[in-house]
Amino acid sequence: MFWQDSAKFALRSIVSHKQRSLLTALGLIIGIAAVVILTSIGRGVHHFVLGEFTQFGTRLIAVYPGKTTTFGLSGATISTVRPLSQDDAASLAGIEQIEAVVPVVQGNALVEAGQRQRRTTILGVGPAVPQVWKIDLEIGRFLPDDSFNSPRAFAVLGSKMRKELFGSTNPLGQRIRIGNDRFRVAGVMQTKGQILGFDLDDTVYIPAGKALELFDRQGVMEIDVLYSDQARAEDVERAIKRRLIMRHGSEDFTLISQNQMLEKMDSVLNVLTMAVAALGSISLLVGSVGILTVMSIAVSERVTEIGLLRAIGADKSTIFRLFLGEAVLLSAAGGVGGLVLGIALVVLAGLFVPALPVQLAGSYLLGAFFVSVFIGIATGVVPAIKAANLNPLQALRAE
Amino acid sequence: MQLRDTLVQAAKAVKTQPLRSGLIVLAMSIGVAAVCVLTALGDSARQYVVNEFEALGTHLLIVLPGRNETTGGHPPVFGETPRDLTLDDAGALLKIRHIAAMAPVAVGSAPISAGRLERETNIMGSTHALLRVRHLSVEQGRFLPESAIDSEMPVCVIGRTIREELFARRPAIGQWLRINDRRFRVIGVLAAEGQSIGVGFDELVIVPVAAAMALFDSHSLFRILIETPSDSAMRKAQAEVRQLIQMRHEGEDDITIITQDSVVGTFDKILGALTLTVTGIAAVSLTVAGVLVMNVMLVSVSQRTAEIGLLKALGATRNQVLGLFLSEAALLSCAGALLGAIIGQLGLVILAWAYPEFPVSLPVWAWLAAVWVALATGLIFGVLPARKAAKLDPVNALSRR
Repeated sequence: MFWQDSAKFALRSIVSHKQRSLLTALGLIIGIAAVVILTSIGRGVHHFVLGEFTQFGTRLIAVYPGKTTTFGLSGATISTVRPLSQDDAASLAGIEQIEAVVPVVQGNALVEAGQRQRRTTILGVGPAVPQVWKIDLEIGRFLPDDSFNSPRAFAVLGSKMRKELFGSTNPLGQRIRIGNDRFRVAGVMQTKGQILGFDLDDTVYIPAGKALELFDRQGVMEIDVLYSDQARAEDVERAIKRRLIMRHGSEDFTLISQNQMLEKMDSVLNVLTMAVAALGSISLLVGSVGILTVMSIAVSERVTEIGLLRAIGADKSTIFRLFLGEAVLLSAAGGVGGLVLGIALVVLAGLFVPALPVQLAGSYLLGAFFVSVFIGIATGVVPAIKAANLNPLQALRAE
Repeated sequence: MQLRDTLVQAAKAVKTQPLRSGLIVLAMSIGVAAVCVLTALGDSARQYVVNEFEALGTHLLIVLPGRNETTGGHPPVFGETPRDLTLDDAGALLKIRHIAAMAPVAVGSAPISAGRLERETNIMGSTHALLRVRHLSVEQGRFLPESAIDSEMPVCVIGRTIREELFARRPAIGQWLRINDRRFRVIGVLAAEGQSIGVGFDELVIVPVAAAMALFDSHSLFRILIETPSDSAMRKAQAEVRQLIQMRHEGEDDITIITQDSVVGTFDKILGALTLTVTGIAAVSLTVAGVLVMNVMLVSVSQRTAEIGLLKALGATRNQVLGLFLSEAALLSCAGALLGAIIGQLGLVILAWAYPEFPVSLPVWAWLAAVWVALATGLIFGVLPARKAAKLDPVNALSRR
């Protein structure tokens, strides 16, 4: 028998039991669609989170005071006997591959402008914030390029702070009060929205030196370093380490590069996608049991037919091919159906629930299809062998 | 036909097709087992986290310096404020009646050394009350003594890891531990806590709060932990603490108070929702199993047309035929559900054996729910084939047309 004949034969037997074939395929369709949808959500979340992280750019290294081995909140961010100073930041800025540094002091204080007050986050930073954190100004300019030690009392507002304190009036040049100090508004930042739960718009930026005075602190909480795109992260890290060890006498700081963070996030999120794909595969497994069942029913129903085929000269391998072909065809149809259904649902979800990050995961789509074909082969083999091994005489006499 | 006869008939029909029946049962049991295991995992994770939080203490209030006006934004968990929460503030809180215990906490990091070994670690300053508020237990020696809140007594209590790393085989109690440029006498070692949420007590050195503040040359507390005797006292204490601090801070309401309930509640909700989602995804496989039941039952109806015709010719009513096929579906899914539940339990036993530190257990309701859902699935998907069988015309059926 030619393979075209085999295919035709298998197709005909599938079509002759429309309802049964449809229901069998339906089992797989649901399973494949579940995998497609779940992996799309997984991939969507993946992209969403990585996007949030890379908003600040990828050429960043953060330097924290203190060296602790435990992951999590280091006590050094709050107090330490070996603080990182603004001079450290200034010294790092002198390293060749480093384009800009931002010392960071974070705190919480009451901000007053005229009659209005608001309690909010204060970020004590350096003038390079727009460059390092990739945030642009809406109006005015950022903190002036003062020397680190004698900063002038300028403040820059996040967009939400501007709305809360000044409404629609022009804030540039106005005076605001933070704690007991007075600041002049130099600019307003563009809306950035929440980043990992931290609202950059509800923030006031002041010079780090002023923030240290305001909060009566000895050292900064973090120094963010932006390195040039020609430099390699490892070289920059080594240079930072060398410079700070030279200044402090020992390695009493911790470096975390954006790349490390991204890699870690990436692997965590990949595991997540794989986990949901595995969850969806449970229904694929059940669907494959369905194909096994229906194929074994088909073999037992068509014993006479098999006998006849053998009697007119079809050999064992032809029978085997026929039944296996039927199983594969059935599962491939289920796979295609599942892909179509899954993709349609993902596209619909993307249209109607834009807040839900979904993204079709190409490799998983392909994988799902091949899994469905594989299921057809795996579950078709046993019934096909059974069919092929039937004794032609007995099979003909079976009815 | 009596109920018994119906069941016997159905059972016989199941038995004549052992392979087919076995496969349906297998499919159903995979779904049920998946639902059982995943629900158990989700629920245990939830339980674990909630327990962890409750281990922090009961009726706990956490007072943080600073306040954000944006509702919904996270509180200023760390960071600085122009007006600190001071030791005096903490001392003043003791006047409030609804407070059972109060532990001020200062946190920082410093190098510690003993002999020639040195490492950097987190230092926590607190008082004797921390033992009660955080439900800590001491393995050797004793905890910080009960002394005035501003006493700078040079004693410390160390975590398990610190003990192992700095005093390897020597007894730690009574030794001097150098923290930056000061010396502290080790008076206790904490019992192993494992990773508790927030702070790893195993890698911590606890010193009197005033000593910690002197060490870090700081006047500001990281937070104040308050234990209240009861739930109702917690509400009252919350209001009074806010009032008192506002009075002390020249009328400014600049603290954030977190109740433990709200934190636990949030986590409980999030993890509960997660469990539901995961279970829901697993339940899709039950639907697939249901489709399979329907499919196979349909096949069996068309194969047994003659039998149905005969039954009807003998006077069986539609309802009896319907009942016959439905009970066959029910029998199959029942067997599947039971097998699935057993497989699920087995899986959980294996999990419990592989990860003894993470307790997994399936709540009884989830077990029952999975079994019932499987049964319902079987019945719902059995209705269509059963109706088809019941509707068969006896004459046509007998002549197998």
